[in-house]
Order: sequence, then C-alpha cells, then structure tokens
Amino acid sequence: MSSPIRFALIGNPNCGKTSLFNRLTGARAKVANYPGVTVERRSGILADLPNTPEILDLPGTYSLFVTSPDEQVARDMILGSIAGETRPDILVAVIDATNLRLGLRLVMELKTLNRPMVVALNQMDAAAARGISVNTAGLARDIGIPVVETVAVNRQGVDKLRSILADYASQPLPEGTQRLTPGENNIAELNRDDSIEELYQKIETIVANNVIQPHEFPRWQDRLDALVMHPILGLVVLFSILLFMFNAVFAWATPIADLIDAGFGTLGEWIGATLPDGILKNFLVEGLIAGVGGVLVFLPQIIILFFFILLLEDTGYLTRAAFLLDRPMRGLGISGRSFIPLLSSFACAVPGIMSTRTISDPRERFITIMIAPLMTCSARLPVYALIIGAFIPEKTVWGIFNQQGLTLFALYLAGVVSAAIIAWIMRRNQAREEFPLLLELPSYRWPMAYHLLMGLQERVWIFLRRVGTIILSLSILIWFLCTYPGAPADATLPEIEYSFAGQLGAFMQPLFAPLGFSWQMCIALIPAMGAREVAVSALATVYAVSNENLDTALGVALQHSWSLPIALAYLAWFVYAPQCISTIAVVRRETNSAKATAFFTVYLFALAYFAAWATYQIALLFN
Amino acid sequence: MTASFTPPQAGTTAALRLDQCVKGAEVRMVSLLQQPLFGGQDERVSLRLKELGFLPGARLKVIGFGLLGSDPLAVQVNGTKFALRRAEAAKIGVELVGSH
Repeated sequence: MSSPIRFALIGNPNCGKTSLFNRLTGARAKVANYPGVTVERRSGILADLPNTPEILDLPGTYSLFVTSPDEQVARDMILGSIAGETRPDILVAVIDATNLRLGLRLVMELKTLNRPMVVALNQMDAAAARGISVNTAGLARDIGIPVVETVAVNRQGVDKLRSILADYASQPLPEGTQRLTPGENNIAELNRDDSIEELYQKIETIVANNVIQPHEFPRWQDRLDALVMHPILGLVVLFSILLFMFNAVFAWATPIADLIDAGFGTLGEWIGATLPDGILKNFLVEGLIAGVGGVLVFLPQIIILFFFILLLEDTGYLTRAAFLLDRPMRGLGISGRSFIPLLSSFACAVPGIMSTRTISDPRERFITIMIAPLMTCSARLPVYALIIGAFIPEKTVWGIFNQQGLTLFALYLAGVVSAAIIAWIMRRNQAREEFPLLLELPSYRWPMAYHLLMGLQERVWIFLRRVGTIILSLSILIWFLCTYPGAPADATLPEIEYSFAGQLGAFMQPLFAPLGFSWQMCIALIPAMGAREVAVSALATVYAVSNENLDTALGVALQHSWSLPIALAYLAWFVYAPQCISTIAVVRRETNSAKATAFFTVYLFALAYFAAWATYQIALLFN
Repeated sequence: MTASFTPPQAGTTAALRLDQCVKGAEVRMVSLLQQPLFGGQDERVSLRLKELGFLPGARLKVIGFGLLGSDPLAVQVNGTKFALRRAEAAKIGVELVGSH
C-alpha cells in the first residue's frame, strides 16, 4: 500500500480521546505544538503497529451538525472536506462509558456515513466504580459496530484497541474506503428533526438491553458540585485555587530555579577560569551562558503553572468555573465559554486564541481573541520573576503569602482587570443577539498521572526547543550586536555604548524616555518580539557586557542601574505589549482579517506605552 | 414564581418552564418551546438541545444556579450535567415530578 492507514479518534468533548491518543502513541507522538483542549487535529504515529499507521485526535463534538468552529474542524476532517487533507480511513469513535447515551447518539450519526468504524468504550474503570456494567458483545451486535472496552489509566487498558487497530493496519483497506468524495450528501439527506427522537428511542432500547446502570450520580460528585458550584462558596473556592496556584508558581519553583542558576554560574566561572581571554570565552560566558541560562532558570515555574492548568482541566473543574463566571462575564460581552480560552492564555496566548474556536458566538469570539494576550502568559514569567526578584523584598505578609508572590498576583490581576474593561468597551458598540451556553459539566475525574506527565513533557519539550532555537539564536545575535564594533582606542565611555546595540538603544531611547526606560531596556524590547523571555537574556547579555565584574548576578546588576519606578514601568509595559510575533500571527489566522490584526497590534502597543508612562509618573510621585 | 416576560410558546402550552424551577426540583420534560431571544438560530438551539438529550419525556433535575440573577442554571439529564442559561431553560416546558 502506498500511504499508511489513517485512523481518527472522534467523540464527545471530555470522553477521554486525548488520553487514549496519548496512550496509543506513547512518547513517540508527533503532536501539534499546543497542549490543552484539542481544537485542532493532533496527529501521531502508531510506531509499534504494522505499516506505522497515523492516528488523528480530533476536537470533541456532540454532533456532525456543528455549532462552533472547533466542531467544524472535527466534522470537516471526518468528511474529508478540508483542502489538502486526506480523509481518515477508519474512525475510532470514543464513548465515555459513564455518559453512554450522548456518545451512542454521535456513533449512530457517524454510522450513517457508512465508513469503517470501531467503538472504544472508554472510562470503563470509572463506569465500573459507579456500578455501571455493559454487555459489550451485545452492544456491538445491536449497533452493528465492533466495540472494545478501554481504560486509559493503564497501559493494558488499551491493548484490545491496539490489537484491533493492528488488524486494520496489517490488512488492505476495506472496499470503498478510499473514495474521497466528501460525505456531505449523507448528512443533507438526514431529516434530523425526526431522527433525533427516533434515534434516542433506539438508543434507549439498546441501553436497556445491554447496560445495567444505577439511576443516581455518585454522592460525592453531587456533594462536591454543591460546594464548587455554590454561587458564593464556589467563587471563594475558585479564587482560593487561583491564588494558591500563582503563589505556588513562585514559592515552589525557587529552590530548583536557584539550583539551575547556581549551576550556570559555576559553569560560567569554570569557563572563565579555564579558557584564555578572548572572543571565544567572551561569547560562551556573555552570550551563551548569560542568554540561554537566563531563560532556562524559569523552566520550574513554567512546569508548575502548566501542571496546575492541566490538573484543573483533567479533573473536570474548569467547566464549573466557567459556569460560575458565565453571568459576570456576560456583562462584559464574553461568557463562561470564554473562560477556558482565557485561562489557557495564562500558559500561552497562542493555544488560548486557538481554543476560542469552542465559542459559537462570532462577536464573543472576537472580543476573547482581542483580550486573550492580556492574560499573563508563561513567557512573561521570566521577565516578571527577574524584576520582582530584584526589586521586591522577600517578606511574608498576612502570615502565609510571600510578598513577591503577591506582586506577581497583582500583575496577573492588572492584566485581567484591563481585559475586563476592554471587553466591556468593545461590547458597547455591538448589538447583542443571544447565543446559548449549553455547556456540559463533565463528571469529576481523578487526574491521570500518565496523562499529566505527557502533557507536561510536551510543554517542557516545546520550551526547550524554543530555548535551543529561537532563544539561542536571538541570544547570539544580541551578543554580536553588543560586542561589535569594538570601542575606539581613545574610548572614554563603556565599550558597549559604541556597539551596534548601543547605537540602536541610543536611537530608540528618546521615544521611551517618558517611560523612564534606559537604552539597555530598549534593546531588550527588540528580541522580545520574537519571544518575550528573550528580554531576560538580552538584559543579561547587555549588562554582562557592560559590567566589568562578570560575576555579578543579573538581578544585582539591575538593582544598581534601575530605580524602582523604572522597574515598575517596565513590568507595566510587559503586562500589555503584544510582544511575540506568534501571537500576532495566530490572531491573523484566527480572525482572518488584516484589519483586526492591525487593530489588535496597535491598541495593545498604545496601551503598553500609556500604562508604562502612567506607572512611571505615579511611582515617581511616591518615591 | 412569576415570569417577567411572556412565556415563549409554540402551540403546546406548558404550565411550567425549567427556568422557573427551584434548586433540587425533579421534573419531566413535556415540550420544547420557541425562544424569540435566539432569533433566527432558535431552530438550531432546539436541535442541539434535543441532541444533548433534552427531549419530551426526559427526567431532569435542577442542581444549581449561578450567582447573579440565578443564571445560568445547572441541570442533570440522562446522567449528564449541563449548564444552561435562563434563555435556553425557558425553551424547556416541564412538569413537576418531585423535589427535595
């Protein structure tokens, strides 16, 4: 056979497709860049199966009659109506065994497409714990599709599915599979209005014949919901979780970060002592170690942040938060549906903006995209952490909170509050039409260590790849700009002021003078367009080069050269500035409008400039 | 428990709508009503509700409300919990089965 078989996982949201995908592909998955809610197809290779077939993880959908852009992706992939994408050959329909009817309805709809299909009855462990038992063979007979039970929690739990997929992969494709005509007609012929009732009747019969199911929800789930979804206590819980999370990002990461920092420090000293003076030593210490090490230090914080987001998502808690915040957010022209994209934006605005595809209301989606970058992303964390570490004393306040952690929380809050105000302003010009919320509140689930680790590993890998590529090359570039051309023989100023970087900084500085920025700070803003955290490497290199004393830590160097108002103004700039080209690019792609993208870029830069200016001026008054 | 606006109705008259129920109410769905607030896409909302299992005869249980204006509300159908806004809930005509 010429090209390998393509499987596609399809199912309701929250049915555990992605954990199955992780199990099946293991560490060999070649996955899209962004973890979190699947809104784009993710593709992986089943390397241990014959002919190494490909497997796709599609966004969750309740129906082929779609109501939001992410469901559209799933549907178009299944039907093969995306240009340049081969239609998947075999569908693996995933059903949550604790949520059978909803899953079966989609399966019955998929069945009308007449495509080879196998059903994975997932979460069988949770179903068993709840007293649900399924006669799998009977179910398979009644729906006319092979059914396998899967438990994504352990490795063996997917063995049966794997062996069925292996059978498919080792045989030629079933007759008629390779037809690439989109199946649109199949759908149009469905008279869905009658068929929904009929289908559900059929499903009731199937369920009655094959499933023993207790009527009640597990008690603890209902009790937990009574607390977590309580209009007042629920909000207390939500804000406690968020505060704890941001505090932990700072408190837990410090010891490991210090260790990494010390490691690079030792390495730098060792190289400094071993190598002869010259351009190589200069490059290694000031360019490479200062630049790359400066960013790597923040890996622990990024891991902790992602850990919490993955954890909250896996347990099913996030939709409860969306439920609580729906009404308050609607006052701002967004809704509970915007909550998850906005929360993911705390990790990175790019997947956050992509996950706005789960929002059906186009205007709400637009506003969410416009404000998503105001959620403090993890790339800003190194910048914040550096400046906070250098300028905010480490003190315990109110008994439990670290003052540095609180400052970080305040920066996050500044972003959130600004986002709220901007959303509210944008909403003013829009006529409102109601869109439904219709949000499933999935059952709580014990988070799966394997799934969490896979998610974290993916994130760490992406971060390291960024460090190895874009951050490394920008660091080298900065070192070059800071080093050449060298100072003339009769130089009176520090060497760096004669370099390209010095000249560029001097050129930019007048524009940023009202904000109190020095030319070194201006320099750091340029590579930050590639990736915000490079601002740290850039500052490290600029100050390492301009400092006579190489041992001085960056934080100490900053304390000597910046005043507190300047540091605060720089923080304010980073709260707003749409640094990072990838965010601008994803806005362009998701809005499909040059005008919207231009608006996005200009309004955020203007806001950053104003906020930094105001912060500087106000802080000067108090200083 | 008075409605602040005219109940949206489509031929069928429902004595009670889901949005008028109290927390803990257990009801049986009797009809799917029109909701003028959704304008042109009301039909689509109806279909999605049906797909999610909101069909006449279904047993529903109101499990909670949001903070402001008791909106949205959480409801359980066929062992699945959903968050619905009042506008969607007002599309669901119900009769009382019990409450606790």
